[in-house]
Order: sequence, then C-alpha cells, then structure tokens
Amino acid sequence: MTLKLGQRSFADDATLVMAIVNRTPDSFYDKGATWAEDRAFDRVAEVVAQGAEIVDIGGVKAAPGTDVDIAEEQRRVVGFVARVRAAHPKVVISVDTWRAEVAHAVCCEGADLLNDSWGGFDPALVKVAATHDVSLVCTHTGGLTPRTRPYRIEYADVVADAIRSTVGQAERAVSIGVDPRSILIDPAHDFGKNTWHSLEITRRLGEMTATGWPVLVSLSHKDFVGEALNLPVGERLAGTLAATAVCALAGARVYRAHEVVETRQVVDMVLSIAGRRPPERTIRGLA
Amino acid sequence: MSEHGVSTRVVVLPPVPALLPSCLGRTDPVIDLRNACRKAITWLVEGGTAPVTVLADAPDQAARSRGVEVPLGIRVARALLDEAEHRQEIRHTDAPTPGERRLLVLANGSGCRSEKAPGHLDPRSFAYDKRIETALAEGDSAGLAHLDAELGRGLLAAGIESLRQLGAMRLDVETADLLYADDPYGVRYWVTTWLCDAK
Repeated sequence: MTLKLGQRSFADDATLVMAIVNRTPDSFYDKGATWAEDRAFDRVAEVVAQGAEIVDIGGVKAAPGTDVDIAEEQRRVVGFVARVRAAHPKVVISVDTWRAEVAHAVCCEGADLLNDSWGGFDPALVKVAATHDVSLVCTHTGGLTPRTRPYRIEYADVVADAIRSTVGQAERAVSIGVDPRSILIDPAHDFGKNTWHSLEITRRLGEMTATGWPVLVSLSHKDFVGEALNLPVGERLAGTLAATAVCALAGARVYRAHEVVETRQVVDMVLSIAGRRPPERTIRGLA
Repeated sequence: MSEHGVSTRVVVLPPVPALLPSCLGRTDPVIDLRNACRKAITWLVEGGTAPVTVLADAPDQAARSRGVEVPLGIRVARALLDEAEHRQEIRHTDAPTPGERRLLVLANGSGCRSEKAPGHLDPRSFAYDKRIETALAEGDSAGLAHLDAELGRGLLAAGIESLRQLGAMRLDVETADLLYADDPYGVRYWVTTWLCDAK
C-alpha cells in the first residue's frame, strides 16, 4: 500500500529509515547526548544528510524515571518541532508521545506523524491524528501503562496478540477519520514483552506484514538484543542489524534506528538478496 | 542511397551483458554506450522493412557446458531491438549473404586493455584494436576480412569471426560513422554505422 506521511507519499516497495532524535536527558542509549536543543538540531541535520526519511522526536524516555508532565514534554518538543520544520521542510517529522495534548501541540507546529508508542493509552490521541490529517503508528504494548516495564507478562500467542491489538487500533483510527494510507503498525519489541516474546515477534514478523498494514520495527540496541547476546548497551549494533535484516526479509517498511547509514545498508542489502531491490550498479563480469 | 534505390545498413556494436535489462541495476554503468547503441539501432530500424540479420558468435564450448544456448549477441540484439519497438523476427546467421539490407553485427575488441580489465593487461591489445577501429571508422570492409581470430580469442575479443564475415562481404561503404569508441572497463567497445551501396 502506498504510504502517505505528511506531504510525502512512498511507493509500496519503499523502505524508510526513521532516525531517533531524543530531547531527553536520560534515554538509555545516548544518555542525554542531544538533550541540549542545539545538539538535537545538529543531530537532525546529520540524519537527514545520511538519508533518513523520518525523524522521530521524543521528549520522554520510555523506561521509568523522573516524571515528565505534559507541560515539560511540550517544552521539550513543541518548539523543537517548529524549528526542525522550518529548517527541513521535506523530512517527515514524527513525534514519539502518548499524550493527546502534546500531539495536538506538535501537529500545530508541523509534525507529520504521531508515534503512539504506548499503544493507544490515551484514546484521544487518535482524534488528534484525524483532526490534523497526520499519520499514526499503532503499537502493541500488551496493555501496559506508559513508562512501565513488563513484569511476568504472558501471552497465549504474542504474535497473535500483537496483530489483534495493532490491527484493531488501526481499524479504529480509520473509523475515526485517519487516512488508511497513513497508518503504520509496530509490534514494539521489548514493550510489554520479555526477550522470548521479542525474538518470536522478530521470527514471525511475516505474519504482521501479511496483514497488509505497513509495519514499523523499532529494534535499535534494545534489551532483547542485549539479552540474546549478553551484551550491554553500546555493544548491540551487530545484534540490532541482524534483527533488522530478519525484519527486512519479512517485509517491514519502516526501521526506527539510531544508526541511519548502517540500517539503510542492511535493509538495502537484504532486499537486493531477496530480489526485491535491484543492486545499485552491476558491472562485475558483465563488461 | 545507391543508384538502384537500395542500400544496406550495417551496425556494429558490442555484445555487452550489461546492456541486457536483466543485468541492469539502479544506475547504468554503460549509459554512454547504451545511448550510442540506441542511436545506431534507431537508424537501423528506420532503414526500411527488410529483415534484420544478426551476425553474432555462437556460445563457446564452455558456455554451452553451462547450459547457455542462445548467443549473448542475439540476446543483446533482441533487447535493443525490442526497446526500439522493432518486433519483427530477426535472422541469426554466421554467413551473411550479399542480399542483406539490414545487418547487425555484435563484436568488440580486446578485453585486456588495463590491469583491471577482465583479462588483465595485455599490451598486444592496442595494436589489435587499433586495426579494427580504423577499419570501422573508415568503412574499410576489406580491412576486417583477415583479422587474427586466434589472437582475438586470446585477448577476449568477441565477434571477430563475425567481423571477418562482414569483411568478406566487401561492402562498398558510402558513409561510416563511429558513434562510440571507448574502453571504460578495459574492454574496447565500438558503435559504428555503415551505409553501403548495394552490390
């Protein structure tokens, strides 16, 4: 399905890299590297130059920690979205938030996509997407409250639950008025999942892509990679890229990542191997 | 056009696999060559309704042992003609007759013109290719008749027997146009058109 994100449309065989841009002092991977607004702004310029089609701006770390209320979240992201919009008119601006109030404010400043990474926790957020005619990520969290960790969470079938939840959210969004071409579904590795769950989601991602809804995967340096390889944050790039390759083979469309260049290369290489993307240039043995 | 109102059009171009649509990636490594081939093929197709005869090497024993049956030159010719929307049957021959009116010859020079070339550097390439290139550029049909086919094989040249056959026709070339001559990957490519008086 053609994907419409903001003013841009992407063909049904296009894959997109969504670069993570944190406006937080405490996110797990970069630990506040772009907390200063100018640093975050430089990061946007860098990832756009690297070819990221989407930037995903977040003002609240996913894990538990210091409380960030609506006013503080807005202070972190709303003005920043406006600044990015002015400097980069073509990049798709995503904002990672579960709050309708924040969503409304960023859409007023030019955000194109709401990454509802806590799976519809605030039901009013979908209405904001419909009202502003922006795109939406529908996420599986197993019903967790924002910023909580999974604790002894169990599923009869985690993939079936992820499909039921995300497709249900997508259908609800359409019924409320969100453009069906503008909806992504995300199984949300690690969110409401132990490592076994996330590995199974990865292994069976083809069942999600088979729904026809474009699938976003967010794999970058997550704990399921760390536990699979017994590696700390900072040493998980190879594992992240291996998971990226498996998801690319299964047909994921959007890859939320810290490393844009490496992610793009892995996705392109896998698609070339799969025969879904011609190689860039071939002359070896053909001259 | 000859005094009898009938002429023969000859195109010589190289049987380069990279010209095949099935070998084309996202960017074209032989775009200049391809454009020259398109120009020559268009000229050939526009030259009347007579069948196009393709003069191309048969697959060698090694290729046949790998299951290749249709000559590479024929496949390249077919692809270029298809692109020019020339849907008529083409005739493949290794022995052209004097009555040919549209002749497409698939040949290239040495593949040993640099250290990165498919056959590495062989200094004999340059004199060998120069002789062919001069004959093509000057419309010297007879100059192709006695090319050294064995040396050509050693230099990874292709279609030398076809060029010899073209030479043996002793065509009376009215206009020769060398549209392209280069060796971007260590293989000498030519795209040539000859307008010949009919015998």
